[in-house]
Amino acid sequence: MNVYLKNILRFCIIILLQVLILNKITLRWWSEPAGFPVFIPYVYPLFILLLPFETPVWALLLMGFGLGLTVDSFMNTAGMHAFATVVIAYLRTNVLSALLPRNLSEYDGQHPSIRSMGWMPFLVYSAFLIVLHHFVFFSIELWNFSNFGFLLLKIIASSLTSMLFIIVYLLLFTRQSASRV
Amino acid sequence: MRNFILFVRRFFNLILFLILEIVCVILIEHTNTLQGNDIISSANMVSGLVYKKQSDVVYYFGLRKMNDSLVNENARLRNEIDQLHSVDTLKDSVVHRKLYPTDSSTHIVKFADYLYRTARVINNSTNASDNYITINRGSKDGISKNMAVISGTGIVGRVEHVSAHFASVLSILSSKQKVSAKLKDGTNGYIIWDEKQPDVLVMTDVPQQVKVKKGDSVYTAIFSIFSPDILIGTVLKTVVVKKNAMQLIYLQSSTNFHNLQYVYVIENKMVIEKKIVEDSSAKK
Repeated sequence: MNVYLKNILRFCIIILLQVLILNKITLRWWSEPAGFPVFIPYVYPLFILLLPFETPVWALLLMGFGLGLTVDSFMNTAGMHAFATVVIAYLRTNVLSALLPRNLSEYDGQHPSIRSMGWMPFLVYSAFLIVLHHFVFFSIELWNFSNFGFLLLKIIASSLTSMLFIIVYLLLFTRQSASRV
Repeated sequence: MRNFILFVRRFFNLILFLILEIVCVILIEHTNTLQGNDIISSANMVSGLVYKKQSDVVYYFGLRKMNDSLVNENARLRNEIDQLHSVDTLKDSVVHRKLYPTDSSTHIVKFADYLYRTARVINNSTNASDNYITINRGSKDGISKNMAVISGTGIVGRVEHVSAHFASVLSILSSKQKVSAKLKDGTNGYIIWDEKQPDVLVMTDVPQQVKVKKGDSVYTAIFSIFSPDILIGTVLKTVVVKKNAMQLIYLQSSTNFHNLQYVYVIENKMVIEKKIVEDSSAKK
């Protein structure tokens, strides 16, 4: 399938998944007895994480901005998601080149995935950017470092659930057969 | 000039990054004031439509719960009507008589004129620090900014963005707005939300000496944007703040924000007149 068509399709799927399903699940495992924060998983940064290796940084930035604003318009946050997504879009190339043994331009026509990178590097790559995204987003959202513990708890809990959902998404939506590389 | 172009080419990514981040910061800063910002809210056409389609599908699963809440509300309203009709004539002296705004025999001038419109909730959130609700009515149905929104059981919030067919409502589960409230004995205070649990509200500015019992009801005050005497919640616990001899009252919200289905948008027809008078005195 054409790379552009594939990514546009993935954009729509991820936005709909995030907005229609994941935003409705309010995870409140232990939130009732203690003052544990309520949180929802944010899976949409995955779109930025899965763009092809050779995507130039300016394109990543613009796509991150567009993606963030789309999510913002659905969730009434006006710029907060866009801010966080642009940050990870900017850092994506650096993280990838730090993690991968070869130069990025040598991975022609591939995109970051468990198959092209291996389990551990991919998990480190996605976990780092997701945690960063959540840290930036929740800091802006709360905008108040007076109860830092609450903020930290919220970031950790949300990042863990986001990662869980991202792994589930990858297992569901990537082709398992090795015939196509 | 050549150096400048070289500089831009060299640091193009960094410059683009900074520009985009500045745009985001401006958007975040101007959420409330910028007029064009209605586009980036769930009241716009696309997200409104998506939410409406979803709500059409999910609607049927909630019918049972909705029926129950409507029956309960009907029962409460019938109760109130009965109480209004069956006035005990022996007790109906001047002291015990309730004063109605439209009662011309007393010298209380009509100060508010409310119009209730129903609306269906098509999107709802409880987990952000500023929570929004999207409803399926917009400016074509007469909804405009800053109208109050209540549910059958209590207060919900205030209309913030309006498009032709949708509106998004900033719920009281938000750090951005305060609601005037009063205790049973008439003490006024403010309701805020501490951004933690979606069914616990906090009432501030209540003097320490005011006695509050667990389970007491808290209502909207007469000068809030809501119509007066709408239930907000019941008292869970009180905490005394040593610093200013005030107490914080934690309330169990009477509205269940997790399963809002229908809401009423209240239009106060006299609010503009009231605002003009208040503004003119504030200028002096």
